[in-house]
Amino acid sequence: MSTTKEARRLDSAQQTLDILYDISQLLNTQLDKDTLATCIGMIESGVNPEALAAVIQELRRESSSLNQTNNRQARQ
Amino acid sequence: MNLSRDLEFLVDSVVPQARDNDGLRDELAQHCQDILRSHIGQNYDPDLGHLTTLVKKHLLQHSPSGSSSVKFTNLLSRLLDQSVLTRKHAAILFLHSLASSQPSQSSQLAFLPSLDIPPSRQPFSHAPRTPIEVSNGMATAKGKGKSRAQILSEYRAKMGRPPLPEQRLLRDALYLLQGISGKHVHFSSHKDNGTHLVNELSFVTDPKYEISEATKALIHRLSEVGYLYKRVQTYVKERENVAEMGMIEQSLCHHLQARLTDYYRFIAVLESQMSGTLASESPSAPEEEIGLTLRRLDVWINDWRLRMRMMSVCVESARDSHGGALVNIIHGYTENGDPFVRKFTDQLLEDVSKPFFATLHKWLFSGELYDPYLEFFVAMDPSLAHMQYAHPSSLSGGINQLSSDGGFAGPFNDSDDMSGDREGGLKLWEAKYKFQKEMLPMFVGETFGRKIFSTGKSLNFIRYSCHDSDWVATREKMNNTGGSLKYSDIAGLERSIDAAYQVASGRLFDVFLDKFKLLDHLRALRQYLLLGHGDFADQLMEALAPSLRRPANTLYRHNLTATLETAIRCSNAQHDPQDVLRRLDARMLEYSHGEIGWDVFTLEYKIDAPLDTVVDPESMVKYLQLFSHLWQMKRVEGILSIGWMRASKDVESFLRIADLEQEWHRIRLASAEMLHFVRQMQAYSQLEVIECLWKELCEFLQKKEGDLDAMIDAHRSYLDRMVKKMLLVSPKAGKEYNVLNQVKEVFHDILQFRDAMDTFYNHCLSESARRDRGLDGERGVVTGLEGDSDKSQELLKVYQKVKEYSSSFSDRVHSIVQSLQSHSDLDVRFMGTRLNFSDFYRSKREHPTQRGTLH
Repeated sequence: MSTTKEARRLDSAQQTLDILYDISQLLNTQLDKDTLATCIGMIESGVNPEALAAVIQELRRESSSLNQTNNRQARQ
Repeated sequence: MNLSRDLEFLVDSVVPQARDNDGLRDELAQHCQDILRSHIGQNYDPDLGHLTTLVKKHLLQHSPSGSSSVKFTNLLSRLLDQSVLTRKHAAILFLHSLASSQPSQSSQLAFLPSLDIPPSRQPFSHAPRTPIEVSNGMATAKGKGKSRAQILSEYRAKMGRPPLPEQRLLRDALYLLQGISGKHVHFSSHKDNGTHLVNELSFVTDPKYEISEATKALIHRLSEVGYLYKRVQTYVKERENVAEMGMIEQSLCHHLQARLTDYYRFIAVLESQMSGTLASESPSAPEEEIGLTLRRLDVWINDWRLRMRMMSVCVESARDSHGGALVNIIHGYTENGDPFVRKFTDQLLEDVSKPFFATLHKWLFSGELYDPYLEFFVAMDPSLAHMQYAHPSSLSGGINQLSSDGGFAGPFNDSDDMSGDREGGLKLWEAKYKFQKEMLPMFVGETFGRKIFSTGKSLNFIRYSCHDSDWVATREKMNNTGGSLKYSDIAGLERSIDAAYQVASGRLFDVFLDKFKLLDHLRALRQYLLLGHGDFADQLMEALAPSLRRPANTLYRHNLTATLETAIRCSNAQHDPQDVLRRLDARMLEYSHGEIGWDVFTLEYKIDAPLDTVVDPESMVKYLQLFSHLWQMKRVEGILSIGWMRASKDVESFLRIADLEQEWHRIRLASAEMLHFVRQMQAYSQLEVIECLWKELCEFLQKKEGDLDAMIDAHRSYLDRMVKKMLLVSPKAGKEYNVLNQVKEVFHDILQFRDAMDTFYNHCLSESARRDRGLDGERGVVTGLEGDSDKSQELLKVYQKVKEYSSSFSDRVHSIVQSLQSHSDLDVRFMGTRLNFSDFYRSKREHPTQRGTLH
């Protein structure tokens, strides 16, 4: 009984995540499914969505700058 | 902690380098935590619909086909069906903000260049970090294509004269809005050709900076509001110091002041916006969302520009008009097609018209004119202001007057007070208040203005001259509790005006008819002055005839009044109310040498205030005119009746002169003709003129329609028409009284005829006596002295005179009939026809032989 309920819950969670992923693709956010799931989880736990967006943004910027330096170092 | 674990995971997944580098990972995670704790996005609005629209807009910009937007809608509805997530909105918002901060956003800015801050005034270095990449990207994407504005600003920068920073100009613009000259822009006024004061805006030329023409134009536009503001404010300030200022102007100033306060508030908001702009130079907040720019200022100030224009127009017109005329001018602008302007003017008018309506209320419901600055459309004649409609002579007997016995102590009241003081009532009614059309607000309309005017006048009249102020006061109290008069409720205003008018006029009618018994007095005038009481007139005539035959200077007034009393007591007139009889008086007109009593005798009826408003002295003169005409007719008729008895009965009984039988017959014929004439005239006057017009007047008074003016008019027309018909006034100028004069001559002829007839009778009598004596002598009886010669020659001479008068009478009547036939009044013409019954007076030429005169 409880297992079927649990299964249904999981199923619907999976569906929700799929839908959100579709929207994310549509909006071209370049998030993979795991990251998205994490983010949604954070939002569900009360994180400000816009701040979170800024975080992602910041991290990406950081990543690209690191890449650039790495490349440069690699070239050198 | 869950959050930090999630964050670390995020860092790992987004920044792969950090997976091996713990230091970097911790640093980034810390940084992320800082961001999350910051205030970014604290105030997002929870409207899912709005968010959806934003997302769709975003999608449309990237794929204009619209397919992705449809897909999004689809996905969204499916998402909403799911029950796992509690913060779907937040999730969507997250995705959207992530999407819109992607580098591709740059194209969005390019789509809406008008919302962007003009590049000329926005040096590149100021742009936030993301847009730097953007513009760089753009520049590289477009290659060598630079916009002209960029080229120009680059050129300027090269020349060393960059454009003046907008912030400085903004500061100045805000000053300008308050009518103060700024640092870079000044208000300046100089004389043009020495006559005209020209206000203009001058820009300070700064060698370091340059202000572009477009910006100058913008500043010019903004400064218009400042200029108008200065004008309005100067006016309000100016007026504050004026002592003698109309209430309407005062309320205008009040309203303007209130508007200016709003304006100050608005300026304060703008200023806070500007400081917001200065503070928001930080990169986190995009400037275009909260800042203040000249263009924004221009848009925001738009409403105020219109308002200021209207206010300044009002101020201008207030300079050379005041009171109702000012209200009128403002009212003219309410017809504006722009709903904004209309609303503004309506509000303005609502305020400005308040004192007007206060005055109106006072006037309409209590009949008091409270208008210290002469702004109302009813003006009071200051010379009559303190006259209280009361008869001056009643000051001594004021109590008498209140108890409505007219203040006539006795019949010996000095008759000379007729001339001066007594014209009070009507003059006061007509001249105390004046209607000023140019001061009447247009939204009231002239008909209603007249009604208001008349209502107030009636109330004032009731109050002061009918001594009925209690009623007015009660009504005023009743109305004070009712709705007030307002500009916004014109329909209600009209209703209250109508109601007040009805009540006031009705009350005035009641007061006149019931309290002052106007109808009784009018009836008395008809019965006595117009000889409606036949028995009374006969009695008076009979009693007075002997004394009236004497010269006027032998008549005494006390005799006349005593006779009058007798006549009243002997006739049905004694049943009339005492108040009426007391007013009746007999007196003599001014007489000159040689006139006899008949010429100067007149009856008089005294009317006092307030009835003299209706029956004014002027109409009393007309009544007296009519009386003298009717009285004369009556006299002629009486004399003719006596003559008729003599000619028929006495001649039969006392005269036995067979050879004069034919002469007497002719005299009887002539008398009959005269009687016919006089009786027709009398019947016409009494039955066709007085009765008919009286009926009309009574009907009017019973209807109780209209105000006192209508009553005065009705009475006046009653009297005028009577005069016109009875005195046979012809409409031809210069010949008005031709017929009347002829009629008077006819009366004169009749009197002469009667005198001649009496003489003839006397001669006949003596002749008859002489003949009797002759017969007696023949019989041997001496009855008198012998020696009388034959008098028949003399008799014939006297008879000749009789004949002369009768033929003169006939001729005159003939010409009267002729002229009456072409009279314009139908009644008069009909009277002519009756005088000429059976074509008796045919024209001489047609039937010279058939005329029924003595030959």
